[in-house]
Amino acid sequence: MDIERIRKDFPVLSRTVRDKRLVYLDNAATTQKPSVVIDAIADLYRRYNANVHRGVYLLAEESTQAYEDSREAVRRFINAAGTQEIVFTRNASEALNLIAYTWGEANIKAGDEIIVSIMEHHSNYVPWFRLAQRKGAVIKIVPSRKDGLLDMDAYRSMLSDKTKLVGIVHMSNVFGTINPVREIVSLAHRHGAVTVVDGAQSAPHMKVDVQDIGCDFFALSGHKMLGPTGIGALYAKKSHLESMEPFLSGGEMILRVTLDSVVYNELPWKFEAGTPNYEGAIGLKAAIEYLERTGMDAIESYERELTVYALEQMKTVPGIYIYGPLDAAHKGGIVAFNIKGVHSHDIGTILDSEGIAVRAGHHCAQPLMIDCGVSAMARASFYFYNTRQEIDLLVQALKKAKEIFGHVA
Amino acid sequence: MSLEELFKEIIIEHYQHPKNQGHIDHPDATSDGSNPLCGDEIAMELVFDGNRIKNVMFTGNGCSISQSAASLITEAIKGKTIEETRTIMDEYKGMLAGREYNAELLGDLEALSDVKKYPARVKCASLSVAVLDQALQQKK
Repeated sequence: MDIERIRKDFPVLSRTVRDKRLVYLDNAATTQKPSVVIDAIADLYRRYNANVHRGVYLLAEESTQAYEDSREAVRRFINAAGTQEIVFTRNASEALNLIAYTWGEANIKAGDEIIVSIMEHHSNYVPWFRLAQRKGAVIKIVPSRKDGLLDMDAYRSMLSDKTKLVGIVHMSNVFGTINPVREIVSLAHRHGAVTVVDGAQSAPHMKVDVQDIGCDFFALSGHKMLGPTGIGALYAKKSHLESMEPFLSGGEMILRVTLDSVVYNELPWKFEAGTPNYEGAIGLKAAIEYLERTGMDAIESYERELTVYALEQMKTVPGIYIYGPLDAAHKGGIVAFNIKGVHSHDIGTILDSEGIAVRAGHHCAQPLMIDCGVSAMARASFYFYNTRQEIDLLVQALKKAKEIFGHVA
Repeated sequence: MSLEELFKEIIIEHYQHPKNQGHIDHPDATSDGSNPLCGDEIAMELVFDGNRIKNVMFTGNGCSISQSAASLITEAIKGKTIEETRTIMDEYKGMLAGREYNAELLGDLEALSDVKKYPARVKCASLSVAVLDQALQQKK
């Protein structure tokens, strides 16, 4: 991959921050946008903006086509069987909530068991926690092992005929761990449980094939994969969507309304009430096409090299502790860490003064923070536009942070 | 903007060796608070002698700014009357908001003046006064 050429596609990467060139290493929070995405959105508003699925005029036909083309792009990107299985949402969180409030509401009963892992982002924990509270169901947590991988033995032992749903993060937003979702799904199915894969971190960085994984539901977030904010998608097997009640109600999700009856729209529009974020979908399509041109396999292998290098170099910082797997074979480009005697917020500020953007805090994964015995971590997360040179700058700045705070016992 | 401005020696000193850290046996007022976004935590315990703060101790967990601020502010108000404490708190909040302030009154707390240049960190420096304010409201 020609990284210098790729970097030119991202206007923000050439800006300076506090008189230093921006080093953007917070890609697990959100990614930067290539010009093609920015232009696709501007092009909609300059040339053919009209509400989708409503008008009979040419502009409306064009915008509707663009919106539905985006659905096809998402389908192709994750290899779903059909576009009926792709529902646009605001983000991965909304996709996961949709499942909890429709499938979950109808199918989870008192005493049922829901299995999730300790690595879940709040968005794949809180909806299940609340569902369990409403229904009197039981949540079981699969722990992680010392090496940062999921404890599959514990998972196997938790599965039973009481298990109704298994929710699992594909790639941890803290540890970077890539979980063996195919095996997790197949084990769950043996017990008749439905499976939900949170793909917010995986879809941007590796080839995803939902039919190969075999999951019932898969959630992704547009802005973490070069797309705009406010657009995400839910993949769901058609058989589930057919039997599920709508989530939100209003325009778009209906075929016919009289004062005493409502006929719901066909799939997938039954789950898309109100004017959808077609601007976001159009931007997401441009993002997907950009990723496809770059090649998901090439992205994955370049990011793996970068992660190997980052782990090697970061280890040389005195007092550093890296959380999660240290073997890049099992993780994506996410490195969470702490430095003895330097709080992660202070690390964040010191790196910012060098133009380096990282995340500091609990990463919306407080149960995992508690499990690690800390309240906060710093996190560097990479995308394919990052370079080894940027990792060198990160490591230099981390050493400087350690110097500022001296050597603390 | 240089890091030395923000992470002054006195701030790092109070972070690594905080003053007034611990508990009081029978406090007249207690209060705690946190910044949910970043996880900084501060709890304060106070003993009054009439209208005066006879003793104040804190416990906490978090970054150098939040913890050194707790150390510095407890130092600043120990032995002061409620009114004097309120004045110090107002001056301190004003300093963090970028307004003019009475440096003499703030003393060592002035070390935190450059936090105002880092908007994301103002909450860290403000947590202690918010917790202190809650505690003072318990004083009838």
